[in-house]
Amino acid sequence: MQRVLARSLVVVAVLGLSAVSAAAQIKIGGLFDLTGVTSEVGKAFAQAVIDHVGLLNEQGGINGQRIELSAVDYGYKIPQAVATYKKFKDDDKVILINGWGTGDTEALKEFVSKDQIPYISASYSGHLTDPTKTPYNFFVGASYSDQIRIFLQYAKESWKDASRKPRVAFIYSDNPYGKAPIGAGRQYVKELGLELVDEEVVPPSFQDSTSQLLNLQKANPDFAYVNTTTSWVALILRDAQKLGLKTKFGINPYGCGELLPKVAKEAAEGTLCMMPNVAYGENVPGMKAILDLHKAKAPQVNTDNLYVRGWVYVTVWSEAVKRAGGELTGPGVKKALESLRNFDTGGLTPPISYTAEDHRPTTRCAIYEVKAGKMARVGEYEVPRKKEWLGL
Amino acid sequence: MRCGGFRTTYVADDQIFETVYPKIGIAVLGLALAVLPGLLTSYWLDVVNRIGIAIVGAVGLNILTGFAGQISIGHAAFLAVGGYATANLAGREGWPFWLVLPVAGLVTALVGMVFGVPSLRLKGLYLAMATLAAHFIVEFTVQHWDGLTGGVAGMSVPPPRLGALSLDTDARLFYVIFAVVVGGVAFATNLFRTRVGRAFVAIRDRDVSAEVLGVNIFRHKLLAFGVSSFYAGLAGGLLAYQAKIITPENFPIGVAIDYLAMIIIGGLGSVLGSVFGAVFMTLLPEVLRLGFTALSGLSPKLIGAFASIREGVFGLLIILFLIFEPDGLAARWRTVKDYFRVWPFAY
Repeated sequence: MQRVLARSLVVVAVLGLSAVSAAAQIKIGGLFDLTGVTSEVGKAFAQAVIDHVGLLNEQGGINGQRIELSAVDYGYKIPQAVATYKKFKDDDKVILINGWGTGDTEALKEFVSKDQIPYISASYSGHLTDPTKTPYNFFVGASYSDQIRIFLQYAKESWKDASRKPRVAFIYSDNPYGKAPIGAGRQYVKELGLELVDEEVVPPSFQDSTSQLLNLQKANPDFAYVNTTTSWVALILRDAQKLGLKTKFGINPYGCGELLPKVAKEAAEGTLCMMPNVAYGENVPGMKAILDLHKAKAPQVNTDNLYVRGWVYVTVWSEAVKRAGGELTGPGVKKALESLRNFDTGGLTPPISYTAEDHRPTTRCAIYEVKAGKMARVGEYEVPRKKEWLGL
Repeated sequence: MRCGGFRTTYVADDQIFETVYPKIGIAVLGLALAVLPGLLTSYWLDVVNRIGIAIVGAVGLNILTGFAGQISIGHAAFLAVGGYATANLAGREGWPFWLVLPVAGLVTALVGMVFGVPSLRLKGLYLAMATLAAHFIVEFTVQHWDGLTGGVAGMSVPPPRLGALSLDTDARLFYVIFAVVVGGVAFATNLFRTRVGRAFVAIRDRDVSAEVLGVNIFRHKLLAFGVSSFYAGLAGGLLAYQAKIITPENFPIGVAIDYLAMIIIGGLGSVLGSVFGAVFMTLLPEVLRLGFTALSGLSPKLIGAFASIREGVFGLLIILFLIFEPDGLAARWRTVKDYFRVWPFAY
């Protein structure tokens, strides 16, 4: 309770602060999920964005100007997201939006293109990577589609039995976020010559996944990719353990992290996690600022890779705003983002590059494995940057 | 000297407003609404538009549940049908909005009548379950019939056009929405002065007696579902134009519960109640959000889990409201009006 209080204190304090601050010139909109179906991963991300903006303001802002972050909780409800977007555009006149979910990002993608406001979403949906369709959408990390390809590639390479092809399955939630990479996944399974034996759909929120996993058990896959968020992944892993499934699970970046072993306990052992950014506390130069902040402002409530993710998002867009210089408009920030070439985020993510033709920041993603309740880095893998995969 | 219900002509007996004062009040309200878009910011215009849409939906549900006595939890499904019908007719076929909205309403009315068939055998909670089934059937269809509805990705709706003028801002759409609201409220008020409306009320009060008196239960129950769904279709269509993008996530079961809450809080069996309920339920989350954001500056320790407390307060207010004013806001409004009408006397 104390942790929740302290954490919410900062959220609330900054929300109050952002309403009162005067003469702030860099207006950023922040759309976060603090109470909806993805809130277990949304809270740490939001806290990190707010903390990092606070740190930058303490250090004098960007090019001497304060950042004014309008942080709004939309509860993962698309109508709320659309209403908040209108507020950001007309009342706050933001030059960039730090968005969250796939559903609302894809719903807003035409709006942001028309209104020319760069939208950096926490969603890594591959549908947002083609600038000819979504010129103002960006994200920081390999797309969901590239991540599922990396997982399938890893599955193929780690498969030792020469007598048959490895069997794979997909489990995903019944919303745009869950379905985002599945098309790309199906295509790549064929390309790699693996066998797709089953696809299971789970609701965005549920209590029991036994019926889906019983179907999975009949198909008996060797590998399964799970595309839903941590709370629901924990339930799936628990049910899989109950049924005694021997499947190796690979989880998307919003379903895995330090939080998963805490919730799923032993059921999470041996699970593979796709991690577009490093785990909390990893020995990279960029982690120092995060660790220092947590030491200074105890208690340490958000020791989670989602916190690192929110942090690195601010790293990337604040660099773009800095490069935009005096051109503090939506198109100016977009151009600045597209000037990033192998931008080093202090090792928190692979180097980030955007071009005017390709909004895929990287095609590299790290895989971690849950060992003894901790995240252990397995390695960083890459898929080729194929032109025909743009926008998929 | 006139006292109580004293009327000398049949025309006077048929009047909705007996004195000139309510008519003046409505004229003033109309004027205020006409200038409102110029005074509000974009966010509050969005809220006001959503209030208008909620009023249309709530009046529809009140016709079905409050007046005809058929409990329905399927209202979100009918909104969805109206919304997607509009998205298809306006988006894919390119029809003008003044044709799209009535046609979407008719399509929804037909769908509503189909799902209203169980009401001929079921009453009360059992009918509620049947309409809940309607909700899930429509939700599933919307999520998986990609060709018609775009699946989970949804469909975008182009703004309505009036000749060369494109009604793409909330301010312009406000006039369309409130034209529909005025028409809908007027129609509903008059409906209950006709034979059909009285038949609905008779079915609600004692359907066996109604049947004995010669009311065709079959026809009138289906008609109630049809009229209610027509309103829901209109509301869904307006929602599609206002939101510009509709997805299955716009119509969860929570929306149906919200509409039931609107008519219960506003007052079952009262058109004015539907209006009050719609305004209350739409404004309450906004007021709470404003209140909490303002309070957070003063005493952050008190607020604690800010967002979660807000949800809790919302539920608590609804419960308190139902404890202290079970007949709804319309009853409270009548009581207040009566108090001032006979003041300084007690009765």
